Amino acid sequence: MTSKDPYQILGITPNASEDEIKKAYKEAVKKYHPDRYQDNPLSEVAEEKMAEINEAYDEIMNMRRSGANSYDYGYSGSSYDVNYGAVRQMIQRGNVTDADRDLDSVPENSRNAEWFFLKGSVCYSRGWLGEAAKYFDIAARMEPNNPEYNAANNRMNMNSGGYMNGSRDVYGAPRAYRNGDDCSNTCTTLCIADCCCEMMGGDLIPCC
Amino acid sequence: MFGYIRAFKPYLRICEYETYQAIYCGLCKQMAKRTGQASRLTLSYDMTFLAMMNMAVNEIPVKARRERCPVHPINKRLCVYDNKGLEYPVDAAAILVHYKLSDGVADGGLAERGVSRAAMAALSKGYKAARKRCPQLDEQIAEQMKLQLEYEAQRTPILDKACDPTARMMQAVFSSLSDDEDKQSLLGRFGYQLGRYVYITDALDDVRKDRKSGNYNPLLLIDGVSANGGELSSAEYRKIVRFCENAVNLTLGELAVCYMQLDVKMYRATLDNIIYVGLKNVFELVKKGKFSKIKRNKEK
Repeated sequence: MTSKDPYQILGITPNASEDEIKKAYKEAVKKYHPDRYQDNPLSEVAEEKMAEINEAYDEIMNMRRSGANSYDYGYSGSSYDVNYGAVRQMIQRGNVTDADRDLDSVPENSRNAEWFFLKGSVCYSRGWLGEAAKYFDIAARMEPNNPEYNAANNRMNMNSGGYMNGSRDVYGAPRAYRNGDDCSNTCTTLCIADCCCEMMGGDLIPCC
Repeated sequence: MFGYIRAFKPYLRICEYETYQAIYCGLCKQMAKRTGQASRLTLSYDMTFLAMMNMAVNEIPVKARRERCPVHPINKRLCVYDNKGLEYPVDAAAILVHYKLSDGVADGGLAERGVSRAAMAALSKGYKAARKRCPQLDEQIAEQMKLQLEYEAQRTPILDKACDPTARMMQAVFSSLSDDEDKQSLLGRFGYQLGRYVYITDALDDVRKDRKSGNYNPLLLIDGVSANGGELSSAEYRKIVRFCENAVNLTLGELAVCYMQLDVKMYRATLDNIIYVGLKNVFELVKKGKFSKIKRNKEK
């Protein structure tokens, strides 16, 4: 087993299709082929590189053939334990149990923003809204510029502030008949305004 | 079942109120026929909502006439009669009540155990009839009841998990309202969120009582509430209320999304009232400790 991530060597992501892997391999071979470096002081380096590429390609292909598209090397800086694209598809198809199992297999120290977003999506599909809100919040904090994570998080914030889809059409006014005091309504409005501002890149209430 | 799902009457039009009340009375009459005289005492507003949703989803119109009944011997009441939409809610309620009572027998106090056991005996005939007509629903609810006991024994601190069995029961109840597969899953999700609302509201309603008795209540396990027994301080209660508000709002937000997708046409104004005003109103009452447990299933 190499000490480096085989996907990194070929310059592709673990989500890459078989065709993409083959294409990347061919390009790498063209680049480092020993014929190109005849009578060149770099020929030794190129040979080493070539061996590395072959090894990486074999490893990826073997892994795919044996059906294991998840693996763990334990080197720092990489968290390709699970194919997040596949998890996304599982969630979309409603296969929440498998998606959750795959996500849980990712060790805690290599969970990135996408992991938290997907975990939130799993909870949301199950109707576990409290947990979903928590995970979306973490995802949005880890990657504040990701529009997908922000949209999910803002929607939860709006709902937890008391927003109900369609309530505007009932009795003409939004939350006009809510049985709370006016102060809490004002707070809710401010919170929603804050969410909107944050969506646009600004911030109305700096602390949240 | 609990009486938390009800219309906010001051905002009902007279005609809407009359239909609502006529369905309530029609259910009572239907219960006498279908699950026995004793079951009439278990009638609740939750059932009225279920019946109304049933009629709305399946587009069943109502016919009503003035009838006498033992509860209102002097004035005749408007009653819905001869309506297929009343049948399933009566059966579903009989099954739900049966399991709620069996829960009371299993882990209630001495008095509750006695009352529950007596009530179960009185209602057993009606329950068996209902079980025969809806065997699948009975199975699903029995399964969730088992899970609920399991989670209670684990004393899970995760509110979403604690809600899950009740929510799934309501999911089962509501998804049976339609034969259409797409509608079933939408109704199921709608029911799931409604079940969450009921569970959280009930947990808040019971939180002081559970604190005294040492019963499991997920709201007593949140951050900022001391693990020791004794009276809840007002700061702790405020923390619990804030936590519940957040959870209930999330739930109602999602409930509203499903409700809009269902896009029912009939009885829309009354259903809107319940979803957008009634549920929030009940939660506010519970929050302030003004929701009376004794009177909540009475008609007025």
